[in-house]
Amino acid sequence: MTEAPERTVEPFDLPEDPGPRGQVGRPVLRYGGGDRTSGAQRFLADLSFPGALQVALVTIPVGCADILGVDATAARAIPGVVDVVTAADLPSPMPRFGVSHQDRPVLAVERVNYHGEPVAAVVAETLDAAQAAARAVRVDYRELPGAYTLDAALAPGAHLVQDPSIRPGDPAAATNVLEDALYIWGDVAAEEARTAVVVENVYTFPMVTHFPIEPGGTVAVPTDQGGLDVYSPVQHPYLLQRTLASVLGLPLNQVRVFAPDPGGGFGGKQNPKIEPLLAFLALRTRRTCRLVLSLEETFQSMRRAGCRMTARTGFTQNGELTFHQVDADFQIGAYADVAPRVMGKGSYVAAGPYRIPGVRIAARAVMTNTTPSTAFRGFGSPQVAWALESQLDAGARRLGLDGLEIRRRNLVAKGEAFVRGASEATADGEWHQSLEKAAELLGWDQPLAPNRGRGIAVGIKPGATSGLSQSLVRLLCDGSAIVYAGTSDMGQGARTLWQQIVSDELGTPLDQVSVVSGDTGTVPFDLQTSASRSTVFMGSAVLEACRDVRQRVLDLYAESTGVPADQLSERRGTLVTPEGELSLPEAARKALGSLRGEFIGQGTRRLRGKGNHPLGGDAAFYEFNATAIEVEVDRETGELLLTKHVTVSDVGTELNPLQVVSQDEGAAIMGLGHSQMEQLLLDEHGRIRNLGALDYRIPTFKDVPVELITGAVENHDGPGPYGSKGISEGALLCTAGALGAAVAQATGVVIRDLPLTPERVWAAIQTAGTGRHE
Amino acid sequence: MPNYYRPTTRADALAALAAAGEGARPLVGGTDLLVGLRHHTLEPELLVDLKGVTDLPEPIVVTDDGVRIGPTLTLGELVAHPVVRGWFPALVEAALTVGSVAIRNRASLVANSCNASPAADTAPPLLVHDARVVISSQEGDRTAALEEFFLGPRRTLCGPGELVTRLDLPRPEEGSGSAFRRLTRRRGVDLATVSVAARIDADGHVVLGLGAVGPRPLRTEPSAAVDPADEAGVDRVLDEQLEIASPISDVRGSREYRLAMLRVLAKRAVLAAADRRHPREMAS
Repeated sequence: MTEAPERTVEPFDLPEDPGPRGQVGRPVLRYGGGDRTSGAQRFLADLSFPGALQVALVTIPVGCADILGVDATAARAIPGVVDVVTAADLPSPMPRFGVSHQDRPVLAVERVNYHGEPVAAVVAETLDAAQAAARAVRVDYRELPGAYTLDAALAPGAHLVQDPSIRPGDPAAATNVLEDALYIWGDVAAEEARTAVVVENVYTFPMVTHFPIEPGGTVAVPTDQGGLDVYSPVQHPYLLQRTLASVLGLPLNQVRVFAPDPGGGFGGKQNPKIEPLLAFLALRTRRTCRLVLSLEETFQSMRRAGCRMTARTGFTQNGELTFHQVDADFQIGAYADVAPRVMGKGSYVAAGPYRIPGVRIAARAVMTNTTPSTAFRGFGSPQVAWALESQLDAGARRLGLDGLEIRRRNLVAKGEAFVRGASEATADGEWHQSLEKAAELLGWDQPLAPNRGRGIAVGIKPGATSGLSQSLVRLLCDGSAIVYAGTSDMGQGARTLWQQIVSDELGTPLDQVSVVSGDTGTVPFDLQTSASRSTVFMGSAVLEACRDVRQRVLDLYAESTGVPADQLSERRGTLVTPEGELSLPEAARKALGSLRGEFIGQGTRRLRGKGNHPLGGDAAFYEFNATAIEVEVDRETGELLLTKHVTVSDVGTELNPLQVVSQDEGAAIMGLGHSQMEQLLLDEHGRIRNLGALDYRIPTFKDVPVELITGAVENHDGPGPYGSKGISEGALLCTAGALGAAVAQATGVVIRDLPLTPERVWAAIQTAGTGRHE
Repeated sequence: MPNYYRPTTRADALAALAAAGEGARPLVGGTDLLVGLRHHTLEPELLVDLKGVTDLPEPIVVTDDGVRIGPTLTLGELVAHPVVRGWFPALVEAALTVGSVAIRNRASLVANSCNASPAADTAPPLLVHDARVVISSQEGDRTAALEEFFLGPRRTLCGPGELVTRLDLPRPEEGSGSAFRRLTRRRGVDLATVSVAARIDADGHVVLGLGAVGPRPLRTEPSAAVDPADEAGVDRVLDEQLEIASPISDVRGSREYRLAMLRVLAKRAVLAAADRRHPREMAS
């Protein structure tokens, strides 16, 4: 490939004076960032467990098979092998787990349902012995004609991925459709009658894997009390604790989850996968059992649902949307995980942030004999946005409008409904501002060089629809502070925000605020680190805990000094007394007196769902993003060079502008992955053909656009601290749509299948050249 | 796990390789070998690390006739060498596409050639620059043209008990030029979908080296003389020369795409090589 011109990297401009805003709003450097960049940070694989047994998984090289027998004779004979565990060694019936469907077995029972599903586990004194023994286990199996594609899964008489007995009472149990969703409003037929232009197309979005740099793994340590300490770099330690307690029949206090920082999660490390197996192995051997996954095993344990969408969209002669119909089939995997919710929540916004009078969205979660798909940054929105945004551009081309203008004419204003009907949703931001800013930053109106094209697209994603975050803040006698917050910090920098909030609210210097997380034994409950919720939920809990501390300082100050409480007041970082203002740490010191001690504040942010809402509740906020891309196409090879890529997110308030930029850039580059190069390719046996880093391509820094620009719109209108919103997913929601439109403009060819690989772009140009293209 | 042996003399290294036969693998940078070990696609009994051997040929020796390269020269050293940069621009371009900086600081040019990947980036330019290898064993040395050295995927003339101890590149004729082009699925750290090296001499005779379009890296016979300004002439030469390509379809690209890209890249490489025939260009 031709070299991209050198990017100019400008050093971030750090203001010298924090100013009256305090630490919040400043580009404070990442809490723990030094250790993470130097390599000093200890991830799961770096933790030392002397005397631990090592675990290796036994798999078979097909995606669907009946297991006829497992012969571990040769494996057991290898020196150092302690145990070879199969389904027969685990409780019967096999314990199953899952967030919405308890369908996933601890080990495969009688049947393998996807390539890489563990059939047995070897436990040995050394990793070499475990791996050699795993290769020596002989699995006798009969391959079945698995359902590896949407077409195969939906065909009459298709192989059923899930035994109907696992779905008792479900009328769809004899099909591969696990769940469906239907959202309808307005009168589509009536709207079509007043429609000038209808575009109808089929779009596909590939299966892609999360590819966290840290593959992850699990260490289970049996305790003397018959319980377990489990180490796993998960996003939801409390969910893992509950799942393990349930599968093992233990009370919660006997299962302690330590969650070292995940080295990247992106949704893939939310839900339990291999941990229940490790727990059983540890209880069975009464020894510490350790499994660190390989990258290949990580590929086989997490991915995003692929999606095929048929969309019909109508416009008036002025480019106003009249109706939008979409049928979306999400290709989920062999077990439910959280994929049905990805389908339901993603398709809820399949009509986008637009004013559309008539809408019919029908989506299905279709099981296949593939890696179970799970939550992945964007949670179903990137799929539906690819279809919708491409439809907008198809309409615009027919009407002679450009991509910016047609969006201007349809984007909802703040407070206006974009989902109508019983479960209405309205715009919670000035989204036009993001659209206009993205266009301006790209230079939308500038003349275009040859072989270049521009595209602009928007995307929305509902935030969390219920949630609970609890936090403790301890203000110590010397004015330093410790925050207990269960949010997993997997690279998004959550701890930095808690540090900033506490520093401002309690007047503690930033570097004297430390954060404790990743331990269910000491840190209060947090429901999840997902859906970009932590700033809003945990941030509010930390803020409330700080205010609780301030009130306690005031109360004790009154008691200690005899100044009546009604003559005292508190505000950020300060206690106001009749004699004047005291910094809060100083007031705390005086109040605590010679016994010292500390103040403990508690904060809770709870959002209860709504039982009758299809999402289980209204989203706490929406992530909105506008992305604009300029691309240069090599028409002879199909290679793309992104000359400029702009993302603008509606963030409410930038609590830390540096982290907003890094989250946006990370999401934008990740979005280029599924837009340009990422896809899991299966062979006829359901095996992943590009299993591993050699042939599964994600963008490198050389693939980053020549100019990557992040803008943010701040209107202080979010539900989080100081008017903030969650922001971590926005910039990948509509990358594909913007890039697709840019490529279409540059080449005159429209491509509806992702990723836009050089070969696919070349082939489309060739086809167009022969006149076979529309 | 294989045993690891780090001899200090060439004789000890060759003796160890001879004793272990098929079960031995020489180790230099390990950038291919360690991947194979990790995935158990290679399961040697003995690794013979050559980096401690003191009497192997020097990493690089320049003479009036050309350049002699020893087994321990890294790609990083290769691309920084001023004579290599002046004489073999196609090789430098190709070596700069191998892996990443970290990989190039470990990987050995000679050992990478012995790995005999059909898609090896350095193979096409080495072929068009008429590289020859010296294959040593306890019985003595023999030499072979690199084109004969590559037998098939991961197969070379270098047999059990043998070691490639040198790779020689003759000094290019005055007035010739070379260039390398390749296609990948992304810009950073990728394996070639197709690669082409081209050399054109002062009279317009073209030789091409082709990667990832056959079971081994391919070299064409010199073409009839062609004027690079004569587009139809260049096309005619390429049509003839590229007939030896027989790419397969795989996850990196279809046969059809590879054939089409081979044509595009070959032309670009020939034209770039022709531009470099001017002495001023050679110096850059």
